[in-house]
Amino acid sequence: MTARQDTTEIRISPTNVAAVMTLLHDDPGFRFLILSDLCGVDTGSAMQVVYHLWSDSTPDWLRVIVDGLPRDDPRAPSVTFLWNGAEWAEREAYDMFGIIFEGNRDLRRIYMPPDYQSFPLRKDFLLADDAARSPGQGVRHMEQTFQPAEYRRTPVLRQGLGSDAGQMAPGIQTAILSSGEDPAR
Amino acid sequence: MTTEQTIRSLDDPDLFVETPGTIYDAIPPLPPRTEREAEFYAMRDGEMLINLGPQHPSTHGVLRVVLKIDGERVVDLDPVLGYLHRGVEKICENGDWHHAISNCDPLEYIAAMFSEAMPVMVAEKLLDLEVPRRAEYIRVLAWELNRISSHALFVGWLALDLGGLTPVLYGFIERDEIVEMLAALTGQRLLFNYLRIGGVNGDLNHDFLSRLGDWMGNALKRIEDQQKLLNSNEIFVARTRGLGVVDRDMARRTLLSGPVLRATGIPYDVRRAHPYSVYPELEFTIPTREEGDSYARYLLHLDEIKQSIHIIDQVLHRMPDGPVMAKVPRLMRIPPGRAYVSIESPRGQYSAYGMSDGSDQPFRLRIHDPSFFNLQAVGLLMPGNLVADTMAIMASVDPIMGGIDK
Amino acid sequence: MEVNDDRPVIQPSVTSGGQPLEPRDEPAAMASDQPSNAQDGLTTTSDDSLIEPIMVANSTWTPADPTAYNGGQPPQITHLRELELGDKGDNGRWGALDIIPTKADYVLDLIRINSLWPLLSGLACCAMEMMSAATSRNDMDRFGMFPFRASPRQADVLIVAGTLTTKMAGPLVRLWEQMPEPKWCVAMGDCTCSGGRYKRSYATVEGIDRVMPVDVYVPGCPPRPEGLIYGMMKLQQLIKERRGHWPERHIGPTVPIGV
Repeated sequence: MTARQDTTEIRISPTNVAAVMTLLHDDPGFRFLILSDLCGVDTGSAMQVVYHLWSDSTPDWLRVIVDGLPRDDPRAPSVTFLWNGAEWAEREAYDMFGIIFEGNRDLRRIYMPPDYQSFPLRKDFLLADDAARSPGQGVRHMEQTFQPAEYRRTPVLRQGLGSDAGQMAPGIQTAILSSGEDPAR
Repeated sequence: MTTEQTIRSLDDPDLFVETPGTIYDAIPPLPPRTEREAEFYAMRDGEMLINLGPQHPSTHGVLRVVLKIDGERVVDLDPVLGYLHRGVEKICENGDWHHAISNCDPLEYIAAMFSEAMPVMVAEKLLDLEVPRRAEYIRVLAWELNRISSHALFVGWLALDLGGLTPVLYGFIERDEIVEMLAALTGQRLLFNYLRIGGVNGDLNHDFLSRLGDWMGNALKRIEDQQKLLNSNEIFVARTRGLGVVDRDMARRTLLSGPVLRATGIPYDVRRAHPYSVYPELEFTIPTREEGDSYARYLLHLDEIKQSIHIIDQVLHRMPDGPVMAKVPRLMRIPPGRAYVSIESPRGQYSAYGMSDGSDQPFRLRIHDPSFFNLQAVGLLMPGNLVADTMAIMASVDPIMGGIDK
Repeated sequence: MEVNDDRPVIQPSVTSGGQPLEPRDEPAAMASDQPSNAQDGLTTTSDDSLIEPIMVANSTWTPADPTAYNGGQPPQITHLRELELGDKGDNGRWGALDIIPTKADYVLDLIRINSLWPLLSGLACCAMEMMSAATSRNDMDRFGMFPFRASPRQADVLIVAGTLTTKMAGPLVRLWEQMPEPKWCVAMGDCTCSGGRYKRSYATVEGIDRVMPVDVYVPGCPPRPEGLIYGMMKLQQLIKERRGHWPERHIGPTVPIGV
């Protein structure tokens, strides 16, 4: 059995995303109510964001490719106003590619530690590889974020809970201090 | 670094520490970076941040949830993922399409047949390859067996997270039997590496068929035994009924899929909505429930096990003869293109988007598993519940961190 | 384990925030507890300098009030390093009195063998086989290992089952350190032994012996439950052979140089 070729693909530019998505979502002729996947792509020259939509009016998928995001500053509008579930998928695209989704209320790294600096799925991030003639030959791992064992400790960043350390904003109190206990007891 | 006053440590009065109550990992260590984080960490009087850390006795894997609780009720939560992020997509880009099969195995490790199907079906779609019918039937057989073992485990884990230690043993008995069967077929218990681009790796053998026959003989009865353990168990019902109710609008907005969605009454099953493989030829119904709470999800999983047994029955009766592998070149240069496939895994809609640039390496292979969106929806279900129920809700949604974190 | 060899380091391109990426400084190794044989390529600098936190410019959202959240300044750094290794802190050693637990351990280790309580540290797929080893068909209860403790304070053995990622390495090492001695560590599965299929990945630790001392390696992807039980039996045998000598066990990297 061969798989059905059942996808229609359209390409739009980043400026049209909100309008097109709203049209596809709300228009009664389309009714693409389900977003089944949101991902980022790094073609060597530009970045893309790819959406896959499904409507109950057709058994086929619709692929929307937002093309032409520049590689050094990729920005795209967010679709979280239509689907809450897209929030994490956009976080993942940001984490892996650096694509900034404007309108996403929670755009921070989801997989890598929060102080990681690289964007791993970009094409210029090379995996270390000893194999000869591979593009990753001789590459060292960029960042080490783990703590070695008890016999080889290194200083760890710890945050104190002093009077003004770690205070996030004047009105916010941390848990221990707000209960009124004397911390010195 | 400014030195604070030296005070006695809270842990040990003979120790002096520089700041009171130094903790390892502040929550968060840096000032909040997003609007949502600022909203989350703005705490009112009496609220407390509790870390449901990456290691916890629940068996869903390394998920860290920062709970904001008021007494015993959860007010808000912030799941932190990434403790199992292994960089599978990047590794797939560096290898072959064939390597991607075994690389993608551990994504949804309990349902590895479905994870393997992702690169396989994407490559077949890109190549427009004809898979022999016997191979398709064997694939469906393996998928449904894997689905049953995954659902049996779900039942066990749901009870385990509520504190019942016995049903998980029953779940593992089921799983061990099925997994020994699949080991006779594929050679591996957990990460099968069985599906190939163009078919499957090996034909059915006598060992597998004899075990399958033995198991099928009393499969339904065993499922019913498992049901009897929990269906009318007072504690179980009281703890799961009405817990984590999902309504249809929320399901649509948070992009749920799988049993979580079908428990709200929406009969969306990828096997019927976007038919793939030989599912159009098989008869099965899509079980749904109306209530949308954890108890409905539990009952739905049991219904799905019965449907899967029914499918296996049909497959065994209809198994055609023929080759199990299409003729494909060893060095597989896939013509440039893009393909999207989607199947129904035990957790929902498992999909993959693959791009090929003409070489034998995937240019981009994105695997998207259902637990990703399902877990996000869990975050919306938890506030308002007790802390003890957070794990129950999580268990009833059945996330697998391997797939979420890739 | 960082090996400072002469391979060229490829500088990546600029990130979206406009900041050029810099490879983070290698965290300095504390040479105080290590055996002092200078091996090829393994440089251990006893640099006690602190690591500055890396503040990545916040390009996604900024608060309306520029002075909020401490003005975006890094938090104050405190560390317990002087306390942990100095005489004020407690590093679990009793000095000359160490002989007391050693002699008692000689007998107690025989008892401990038959009731090794593992810590639930199932990270990924190997956790499934670990649970399978603990349930009815392959029963670890007959060895005394039934209670998988949820709290590290009550556990004897840390069975690390599943891939260790760099993000999880911190919590896992913390779990290891929270376990009271005597404690043992079993590396289950290929990913914990050597990195396994994720050897080339950017986000995994290639073998947990880079972050903690390991007693038994159980290879396999995943190892069969019988394999894990064999590994636990080997651990029992190891404890019996080494009984009473837990404080002097060799801890150190077991990964060959250059790997």
